[in-house]
Amino acid sequence: MTAASSTSPDAARLVTPTMLVLWLALATVPLWIAQAGLYPYLGVEILIWSIYALAFNLVLGTAGLPSFGHGAYFGVGAYAFGLCQFNLSPNLWVSLAAATIAALVAGILVALFISHRRGIYYAFMTIAFAQIFWTIAIKAYDLTGGEDGLLRIERPPADFGIISFDLRGNVALFYFVLAVFVLAVVGLWRLVHSPYGRVLAAIRQSEMRASHLGYPVWLYKASVFAISAALCGLAGALFAMAQHSAFPDVMNLTQSGYVVMMVLVGGGLVNFWGPVIGVAVFLLTRDVIGAFTNSWMLWFGLLFVLVVLFRPEGIAGLVKSSFERHSLRGQGLSALRLIFRSG
Amino acid sequence: MLDLLPHLVNGLVLGLLFALIALGFMLIVGLMEQINLAHGSLFALGAYMGLQFIGPNPPLPADLTTYWLQLPLGWRYALALVIAPCLVGVVGIAVEVCMRRTYGKDPLYGLLLTFGAAMVIEEGIRLIWGTRDYVLEVPRAVSGAFFFQDLIWSTYRFYAAGTAAAVIGLVWLMIEKTSYGAIIKAGAHDSEMVRALGINLSRLRLSVFVFGTILAAFAGIILAPIWGIRPHMGVDAVVPAFLVIVLGGVGSFWGAVAASILVGLAIGLSAAYASEWSLLSMYLLLVAVVTFRARGLFGKKSVLEA
Repeated sequence: MTAASSTSPDAARLVTPTMLVLWLALATVPLWIAQAGLYPYLGVEILIWSIYALAFNLVLGTAGLPSFGHGAYFGVGAYAFGLCQFNLSPNLWVSLAAATIAALVAGILVALFISHRRGIYYAFMTIAFAQIFWTIAIKAYDLTGGEDGLLRIERPPADFGIISFDLRGNVALFYFVLAVFVLAVVGLWRLVHSPYGRVLAAIRQSEMRASHLGYPVWLYKASVFAISAALCGLAGALFAMAQHSAFPDVMNLTQSGYVVMMVLVGGGLVNFWGPVIGVAVFLLTRDVIGAFTNSWMLWFGLLFVLVVLFRPEGIAGLVKSSFERHSLRGQGLSALRLIFRSG
Repeated sequence: MLDLLPHLVNGLVLGLLFALIALGFMLIVGLMEQINLAHGSLFALGAYMGLQFIGPNPPLPADLTTYWLQLPLGWRYALALVIAPCLVGVVGIAVEVCMRRTYGKDPLYGLLLTFGAAMVIEEGIRLIWGTRDYVLEVPRAVSGAFFFQDLIWSTYRFYAAGTAAAVIGLVWLMIEKTSYGAIIKAGAHDSEMVRALGINLSRLRLSVFVFGTILAAFAGIILAPIWGIRPHMGVDAVVPAFLVIVLGGVGSFWGAVAASILVGLAIGLSAAYASEWSLLSMYLLLVAVVTFRARGLFGKKSVLEA
């Protein structure tokens, strides 16, 4: 989070105007998505991946920790959801809680090993653990169903006691996932703008400075990793519902790489909403270009290279800088900033 | 004890092959402090290029093709081992030129750029060669099998391991014993001073990167008959390469070689007891070492851990 966003009045709010606009816009999606030539399931997918990418960005963007194996926690959540449904209880809330807790435990376990490491060693430790989880998913056939994964996962109804919603249709599922998305966004917004989030931002700027100021840096690094993993697990559980299955593909390194790409293309390093923008661009590119050519990854790869080369702050950064360039308000702000910096 | 011998030998062979795969990656990490995630795709591209030259449709002008196809397989193979990596080196030039913008920034950007390049190259491979598996033909002299102590051993694996050892030795001699190597090391150590002495640093970096690319492609051709040629082979190569560099410690040549051998032995020995899970052993080995040693086995201080 940049200095500008944390000093704006929005930082103190529970719900910001941007959030409201976004949620309302998303709530209309099922009304027009079929007319736009797409399908409701795409909306579900975008929301699930958005939760996943926002959770991941807590580690990469807010705390500046290079984790390249987050697919593991997404996958752990998906498997835990399926296993809980098959073996413990078919109740939706129990299964979602089981998925979140399983991913949290996995995240804590890994965080204990990696939180004293930095840079390339940190990055590769996350990859190594991701590969360990992935290998288990593929080889522990009796538990996970091997390469096929867990099949026939049901979408249990969302039971609120007095009223119960059937989630078997994609539109109903969309609104359920949207509700989770709303909660996740509010929670993450508060977390990022809390004193805890400020310390994470300080760690991102300089681990050494933060530790010399007396903060237990490793504890912050470990806890943010665990929180992020838990939320990724929740997203994974929703994904298992959406796909009616849990399979090892989501845990492999390429998939973990995709979420890094989405976050960066969208501009997660400079903006809270970057991951959401990135997910939407990625999945829409997949479906729109994918309709014309099988090699859409080639084009997305080229786009990604161009973003890294010329706009490392991503789409959100691009929009922001053009907004500042073209609006009087933006010019006034940058003039003020100049004055205060020089004075 | 005797029944472990084949697993030990296999592990040692595998270790040397891992070292060969990691060699180009290691040079670029050690001398440029850049992580080249495109290493795996360049490795795969080398294998495909080699395949194209050795196979029935070499990418040559028509009159040259008839002459080329009359050459015995051994000659074609030997020439492909030289020509194909050089062609892949051209792709390496393109990647390095793009990468220049990321020098001096957070190493994350170089890593992400090469991740994107890896995707583009891998998709390019799928576009040109399709997704099917290919088998690389090798000369009679290095294929086949032989008997030793009542066991069948594949000749090719020993040829590949021997080649790996020879290339590792040559690269080490080049870095340590030539003035060119001295300049490269100095460039990694204090780039400003090297530039002040009138050496063209960007050309130096380009040549290091291209050399690393050529080594990746060479390793691809050597490994192709063992692993088979398919688009995904790049990812299968870059992960162990990255792993041995981290395990050995950034900036240590023999650390990486020692780590490769250790990883090979770990895989070979665990295959004796639980072949299904043998690939897990290298990750467990890494976690065990890096948990206790912040810079791997013999790592040095580097900007990559900032």
